[in-house]
Amino acid sequence: MIRSSDDIIIGTVARVMIPFIQLFALYVIMHGHHSPGGGFQGGVILGASLVLLLITHGIDETKRLVSEKGIAIFGSAGLLIYSGIGLICLILLGNYLDYSRLYILLHVVPAKARSLGILGIETGVGFTVMAVMYSIFLDISTGGELPEDEEE
Amino acid sequence: MEVTLLIEATDDSFRILEDARERAEGLLGTAVKLTSETRQMEEQKIQSLLKGAQEVKSGFQNFVAAFLILMVFWAMLSGKFDSFHLTLGVICSIIIAYLTYNLLFANVRVGDTRVIVQRFLRYIPWLLYQIVLANFHVAYLALSPKMPVDPQIMRFDTKLESDISWVTLANSITLTPGTITMDIRNGEFFVHALSKKVADDLNTGEMEDRIAHIYMEADHIYVQDALDVARIYVALRKHV
Repeated sequence: MIRSSDDIIIGTVARVMIPFIQLFALYVIMHGHHSPGGGFQGGVILGASLVLLLITHGIDETKRLVSEKGIAIFGSAGLLIYSGIGLICLILLGNYLDYSRLYILLHVVPAKARSLGILGIETGVGFTVMAVMYSIFLDISTGGELPEDEEE
Repeated sequence: MEVTLLIEATDDSFRILEDARERAEGLLGTAVKLTSETRQMEEQKIQSLLKGAQEVKSGFQNFVAAFLILMVFWAMLSGKFDSFHLTLGVICSIIIAYLTYNLLFANVRVGDTRVIVQRFLRYIPWLLYQIVLANFHVAYLALSPKMPVDPQIMRFDTKLESDISWVTLANSITLTPGTITMDIRNGEFFVHALSKKVADDLNTGEMEDRIAHIYMEADHIYVQDALDVARIYVALRKHV
């Protein structure tokens, strides 16, 4: 069971760094289509920030930020975004994940639609990777036993 | 006979007067108690009102401050200032600021942030100068044939109060060559020092004083208390 760290230096530095780490992760996700990075990398950074919070501040503080139910919803929502965009392309008479067909819905030139489509895909990938990263770490660190299981 | 009647009559009148006085005193007492109770209740009401308003206000201020800091960070990272990327930045900054402003601004004492930032920036050159001096000292220790090192672990209580100032002091100590902060336990620092000179330098407490100056702690607490009391007084006068 993970308790909060009693090292003041680590706790304080982590507390100040986490917002910047998370914003950097979102930056990596959002700029994935014209700079190094993308959904996977950004999602891993986002998950790592949650793991850092879990190590330094304990499970209660982390739950205030994002609950296990929320993490499950995030993971499924990411998958829904990914497959949903792919399916919309299919419905618009293109191939699966053929973003250029999205110009019919978005009223922009096909190149722009391609750019926006890959942004949506990467957001979905980032969500899912973050959620899975965090829940794997949570399961390993708690041995699958969560506090509410112990109370009942 | 008439004299005894007269005396009895006077006694009666005195008794009646005393009764009346007691009754009046009782009435007065309850009246005073009632007014003081109502006043207390009103004061409590005003206080809770003020406190709630202050909490909401400071929470919102923290949120806005976190948003501005994160937005500047986003602009530095992104480097693209077209409307699409700025909109993405605003959305991301709002989400992260809403989620983490409690973390970023935990344990912040009442104080002027601008003054803290100014003083912190003025502290950095002094710290760099100290690092250069300590570098020369450690180089002398390493290069002299006798190796006059005298490793020791020193512990001292600090007068600093918040975790952020403890961390600033601990990292300043670690950044200075020859000294390393090993642990902080309940405001007690455990520092490893390479020689007697660096330990003495640390023991003068100049670094601690300067950090207390940055975060307006220790000596500055009284001034800040007076300012707080003045603000509460003004708010109360406006309400009453």
